[in-house]
Amino acid sequence: MKTTGQKNKGTEKFSRIRRIILTRVLLAPFIILMIVCSTLVYYFATNLFDRVEVELIRVADDHRYLIEQFFSERTEDLQFIAGENHFKTIQQKNRLADIFHVLQSTSPAFLDLGVFDKDGNHVAYEGPYRLEGRNYSQAEWFKSVCEKSVYISDVFLGYRNTPHFIIAVKKIENGVPWYLRATIDTQFFNNLVENIRVGKTGEAYLINKDGVFQTRKRSGGSLMAVDPNFKGYQSDPHRIMSFTGRDHQGGKCLCATGRLKSTGWFMVVRQDYFDAASPLIRAVLVAIGLVFIGGAVVVLIAFFLASGLANRLTLADAEKREMGSQLIMAGKLAEVGEMSAGMAHEINNPLQIMTSEITMINDLFEDCRTGEAMDKEALALMAESIDQIGLQINRCGSITQGLLKFARKTEPIVRKIIPHEMIGEIVAMVEHQANLDGITIHQEVDSHLPEIESDPAQLQQVFLNLLNNAIYAVKDLDDGLVRITSEVDDEFVFLSIKDNGCGIDPDQLKKIFVPFFTTKPVGKGTGLGLSTCYGIIEHLGGNITVTSELNVGSVFTVQLPRSGSLKK
Amino acid sequence: MSNVQLLIVDDEERFLKTTKALMEKRGIATKTAASGAAALRIIDEAPVDVVVLDVKMPGMDGEATLKRIKQIYPLIEVIMLTGHGSVDSAVVGLKMGAYDYVLKPCDIPEILEKVEGAYTKKQAMENKIRKVQVDRMISHPMAVFDKNGED
Repeated sequence: MKTTGQKNKGTEKFSRIRRIILTRVLLAPFIILMIVCSTLVYYFATNLFDRVEVELIRVADDHRYLIEQFFSERTEDLQFIAGENHFKTIQQKNRLADIFHVLQSTSPAFLDLGVFDKDGNHVAYEGPYRLEGRNYSQAEWFKSVCEKSVYISDVFLGYRNTPHFIIAVKKIENGVPWYLRATIDTQFFNNLVENIRVGKTGEAYLINKDGVFQTRKRSGGSLMAVDPNFKGYQSDPHRIMSFTGRDHQGGKCLCATGRLKSTGWFMVVRQDYFDAASPLIRAVLVAIGLVFIGGAVVVLIAFFLASGLANRLTLADAEKREMGSQLIMAGKLAEVGEMSAGMAHEINNPLQIMTSEITMINDLFEDCRTGEAMDKEALALMAESIDQIGLQINRCGSITQGLLKFARKTEPIVRKIIPHEMIGEIVAMVEHQANLDGITIHQEVDSHLPEIESDPAQLQQVFLNLLNNAIYAVKDLDDGLVRITSEVDDEFVFLSIKDNGCGIDPDQLKKIFVPFFTTKPVGKGTGLGLSTCYGIIEHLGGNITVTSELNVGSVFTVQLPRSGSLKK
Repeated sequence: MSNVQLLIVDDEERFLKTTKALMEKRGIATKTAASGAAALRIIDEAPVDVVVLDVKMPGMDGEATLKRIKQIYPLIEVIMLTGHGSVDSAVVGLKMGAYDYVLKPCDIPEILEKVEGAYTKKQAMENKIRKVQVDRMISHPMAVFDKNGED
């Protein structure tokens, strides 16, 4: 039972030490690692988003330029044809077909070509539809081209009822204007923009100034539908804007917008935030993985190291404890040895008396047998002798009991102790001896001292030792006096043993509790007594202090906690 | 034998009382003293042949008392009575001129025997001294006067 308790205490201590080592060894590197990681992630993220932004701006800028270029080239194509031809000749069917053929060979984007007179009548047409003869004077594009001489329309349905847009130019021939109009293949135009890819989700599309799609949006947004996110776009007529926005579904995205001068459309390049951040997420995941794997390795190593270290510390501690208890045992043995001589004397005296009494009884008995005397006096003498033997037996009994109390194996057993009774018992053990040496012991312990909780047997050892020391110190004096006094406060009881002996040299005073330090001649003292006392009292949660003045005396004060608090 | 004057010195009153009774019963004139100082007083008052002396006593202990007795009355034989388990203190006593030692506890015949031995030795010693004095007196009759003068 006892050993298991000890073992549990040992493992508990072991785990505690290991935990302390582990936390101290791991905590600092972990914090540093976290700081390093977060700093790296922060810079990486900043850098990554900067790069994504730059990329988006570049794509938007390039393609805006590309489309502007496309518009201006197509416009120039038409202007060139208008410049090269007269209103009369271009209306001829063959002529227009030839021109359209040449036009398509320069750019497959042209879907058809039509000629309009000053009133908006469609006078000639080359293309897949039959549109001649229709009047466009009320058409939006016609009104605009009359004013501006060059007009590029938004995508619209028109008569043919399919989405398309047109480029129209105006030519004034002899003061009379006529107009040339070409339809751009939406498919072809779409491809210019739609095939742009940035990352996985990055896409580009065009919207007009009202937010209507002019090209398809790959992630869902058909031609001529209104872009639901249009309100969130930021734009600047002169430069590319980049910003982080939220789309109508609440997804976060990175955008770059640029305005096309010729049409007032917006080039939009957009990438999902998480797509853009995917390298970051990957990096963070890898970092977390590494931290976990590395951390696991570090924790494992630290765990083994800490275990080893804690094990060694626990062992060392156990050894120290063992040493301490051995020291206590050794001190006890030395005490027993020193005491045994005195004890023998104490016991032999009563034995001597008993021997004499038995001889006396024998004598009287013999007298009675021979009939010499059998009077009352002889009987009284015999009774007296028998009483005396009983008395001496009691005396021996109390001595052996004292010895037993002293020698009992003492695991700290905490019990309630009344200090002045305890001191009384201990003093009784040495008083006779002391009186023989002409030493007076004054017990001045307050009988109203509160009870203390402590180990009586160990305290007995300590006080016996201190008393014997005090007696030793005053042995050679004529008026040797040992006083035992007491004090008390809220927590502690103080018991002082004062002698008026030779005192202790200040140099020796420092070493007085050191094991094997002794001032007694070789063979007379082991130097274990006070160190053992010190160990015991400390173990009982108290303290021993000493003050001394040469040729005046020494005071040993034992401070004991009122409530038992064994030092773990 | 019956002429021996015995003094027992011990701090145990009861021991003194009983032993005195036993010794006197055995025909030995016995005095007792409870301390070294008392013992010296008694020796001063009346002649004593043998002293049984306890080693351990309050005040003046056995060794000190032995020393004093041997100083003043070197012819008195002293038997040390020791309660110690070891014979160390007895050896010390013997070196200081004690006749013998007795370990406590001991019975009366043992003490008696040693007392007789001590008394015999003392008598032999006294006889020897007397003889020497007589011899000297015979060879130097005048010296008697010197000696008397010295005394």
